[in-house]
Amino acid sequence: MSRWRYFFQRVLLSIPILFLVMTLIFVILRMGPLDPVAAMLGPEASGVQAEQIRENLGLNEPLWRQYINYMVDLITFNFGQSYVIQSGRSVNALIAIFAPRTIWLGFWAVLLPLFIGIPLGFYAGLNPNSWGDYVASFSGIVWLAMPNFWLAIMMLAVLRRTQGGGFLGFDWYTIGPEVRSLIGTPPLDFIGFEEWQSLGMIPMPSGFYFDGGTLAVAIKMILPAAIVLGSASMATELRIGRTAILETINSNYVETARAKGLPGRVILWKHVFRNALIPLVPIITNEALLLLGGSVIVEVIFGINGLGRLFFLSATQGDLPLAGALIFIFTLITISLNILQDFLYTVLDPRVGYEQ
Amino acid sequence: MPDNSGVSRRSFLKATSAGAATAAVAGCFGGDGDDDGNGNGNGNGNGNGNGDDEISNVQKAQDAWDRIVDNPGPEDEDLRNEAYVEMEEAVRDDMILMPLYHNLNERFWYDHVDVEPTGALGGHRQQHNHTSLDDGSTELNLINSTVSSLDPIQSTDTASAVIINQVYENLVDYPDGIAELENQLVEEVDISDDLLTYTFTIKEATYHGGEELTADDFKYAWRRLAESPNSQRANFILGSGFLGIDHETDEDGAVVPDSIGVEVIDDRTFEMTLAEVEAAALDILTYDSFGPVPEGFVDDIEGYDGEVTQEEFATEVMNGTGPFEFDVWDPGTEARVTRFEDYHEEPANLESIHWQIIEDDEPIWTYINERNADIFGIPTSYYEQDNIDADEDDLNRDVGTYGPLENGDTVNYLGVAELSTFYVAFNASNAPRAVRQAVAYVTDHEELINLVFQGRGEEAWSFTPPGIWPTGADAYQEFAESWPYSPNQTDTGAAQEVLAEAGYTEDDPFEITLTTYADDTFQEFARLTRDKLDGTGIDLSIDEAEFSTLISRGEDGDLAMYTLGWIWSWADPAYGLFGFEPANTNTDLIPEEADGYYLDWEAEDE
Repeated sequence: MSRWRYFFQRVLLSIPILFLVMTLIFVILRMGPLDPVAAMLGPEASGVQAEQIRENLGLNEPLWRQYINYMVDLITFNFGQSYVIQSGRSVNALIAIFAPRTIWLGFWAVLLPLFIGIPLGFYAGLNPNSWGDYVASFSGIVWLAMPNFWLAIMMLAVLRRTQGGGFLGFDWYTIGPEVRSLIGTPPLDFIGFEEWQSLGMIPMPSGFYFDGGTLAVAIKMILPAAIVLGSASMATELRIGRTAILETINSNYVETARAKGLPGRVILWKHVFRNALIPLVPIITNEALLLLGGSVIVEVIFGINGLGRLFFLSATQGDLPLAGALIFIFTLITISLNILQDFLYTVLDPRVGYEQ
Repeated sequence: MPDNSGVSRRSFLKATSAGAATAAVAGCFGGDGDDDGNGNGNGNGNGNGNGDDEISNVQKAQDAWDRIVDNPGPEDEDLRNEAYVEMEEAVRDDMILMPLYHNLNERFWYDHVDVEPTGALGGHRQQHNHTSLDDGSTELNLINSTVSSLDPIQSTDTASAVIINQVYENLVDYPDGIAELENQLVEEVDISDDLLTYTFTIKEATYHGGEELTADDFKYAWRRLAESPNSQRANFILGSGFLGIDHETDEDGAVVPDSIGVEVIDDRTFEMTLAEVEAAALDILTYDSFGPVPEGFVDDIEGYDGEVTQEEFATEVMNGTGPFEFDVWDPGTEARVTRFEDYHEEPANLESIHWQIIEDDEPIWTYINERNADIFGIPTSYYEQDNIDADEDDLNRDVGTYGPLENGDTVNYLGVAELSTFYVAFNASNAPRAVRQAVAYVTDHEELINLVFQGRGEEAWSFTPPGIWPTGADAYQEFAESWPYSPNQTDTGAAQEVLAEAGYTEDDPFEITLTTYADDTFQEFARLTRDKLDGTGIDLSIDEAEFSTLISRGEDGDLAMYTLGWIWSWADPAYGLFGFEPANTNTDLIPEEADGYYLDWEAEDE
């Protein structure tokens, strides 16, 4: 089996998985213990009102028709309106408002460990049992051991005491771009399209703006949260990276290459690094997934109000359309990350796809 | 009675802020409970001489309620007020329901803010047109929780009400949340002799969109409240026991479009007709949902195409006559309103009000210590009772200072008991009086509040909160001090005595189940009470139920002992006491023909 055929098989396989998840969402939402009408109206619901809402929501139709409608709605991204959290606002609008915050947080939370954790791990692996290795490995383990919520609260407590110049010798609020508060949603309108023009039927952006100052504020505001959120991954990447380098460096083909007289630089870049990346691929993609779930607590403590928090609210308050839509989207992201993982494998490792 | 299918449950309160119907401003409730009347006569056995030679407490409560209903006129107010107190006495002496605590609303603010202290109806009732800042800034910075909707007929949560109240106005209101009615958009009210027809003359006012306020707008806005599928409060205008406005219903029990009892006389005058006399009609009209909107502005009732869709009206457009106009709402982040220059009274001092939307303890505490909020509440996990230095004022409010905060600042402090009561109640057919009284003897209100809220709650000695006690603050003190069941003590001895008289002992105990819904406070109460009753002659087991399950079991009469809460949306003792009318507590008739609490109180007399 060729590696690309293998890859496309994996892509095809994700379709029944998605279908299964959609069916599960339907079963949980429509047949579970939560009554959407009670969630909407609260205990004041009177008989007439409840019946009217039941009718509007299509809850009086036969189950198979509800199922088909629901599946069609999900596939066409027609998620309806939120019942409880923001009654009257469409779920799509809500996601459009909340998602960029989580994406911004997730982006930095993946990027920071990537550029700190992996280089440190490679450094430790290339200099095993040196003082540098000990320091890097030890601090990695300590960092990993500190729980996110605790780290987040400490981060806030320390940084807010720097206001007006504190014991750390700097004022976080005035260093670089000025911020009013440590918490809150970073301004994400640093880039955008200025106007839209109709080109035939298709709207085309005809000019965009970019504001460096706002970008700087947005980065500064997300940094503490992203460092906390990425801290666990940073340590894991360091540990795995170190082991991977050690394993590769001691493998037979590296020894062969060395015996053939290849220069050290070529061995390192072409053989060691490329192969050491293979065990890191699932780690990094899986971390992106963990960040989705793990972001709730960091979003809460830093008052960012992203998708994680929105999902938490919708689930606890019985906002069924919103919760269902978010599960669907999380599933889509999970599946696409898995596909991305397979794709990276296919590119990096020629052995993928060949039967043993 | 027109709306027979919808005898509504009014506002039974879920104590969790997650509830759809009610949402407390996160972290802002609690309070101190220093003004309890403990140390006063805990002599038990003081005249609850029920049943022997006098009339029973059930009969006493029923007679009192009948007197209230038979005398709805304004001149009979004193008579009604006495009857309310009699009902409270009957409830207490029969111990059919034991009040536990009133929510205490606390507010903290910096010296540079000049703001009126708020009253028992809550800070969300306060319009900030009289608030001013003297530190050179023009924007008032506040903290709010998640806002659900900007449409006054759709929103049910406090966070939305805070914004709606700055933008929309009513005929009458409670200024600063103090329970005294004042005119807002009305100039004059004329009430007919049969008390059914109200003629309102309205002021001249302009909407933020430039339209003139007219009488037609009220009819339109009230029709939306009654008829719109988006209305969450149709029962407030239609329901009997609420405003109960005259209207027609179709065969399904739904209101017929354009049938509500509002008749427009001219641009400045309209008439409202009620189906039956409602003494608190004007109080009910203070509720947010009754505010006018320009006629035909929204598209969600029959006969109007609307200038905006309801979705827009709930999320991005507001058009009222209030002192502030809507500027921005970024869900989950912030909201802002700005001063309306054409306001029908003196325009506001502030140029704008900004709310940062934050709900959790850590970010709120950070935001406060960064001095970003002018008026705020302190989350319980960062709250220290010893930091309060306050005295009680003539409205039963604690006023003083709090400090230092983490940043070293000392701020002003206000604590007000809210119009809410959380309680444990009994079903008389499943819980004999001796058992109910024994539970009261072992309950230590002060201990419960200190244990669960770090003292941030007000001990409740009556169902009606002190803020609206019908015969005044002094009379309330007297009533509170006459609590016959060892106030703020765990009096196991008295409990044992009263149980032994009824034949229940440690070896032959009365078995009873206390059902609570998932709520920390009530769970704590349940565990405490179970342990205290151990060995007294009551064998208490604890059960937990979902809110809706609890309600439906109550309606079926399946509960013996349960916990719930009640919140007042307007200042009217009858709005809470109607549920004690013994005939109205018959669970065979609830919920279709009765809407009292699940007490089966009449069984006591059988």
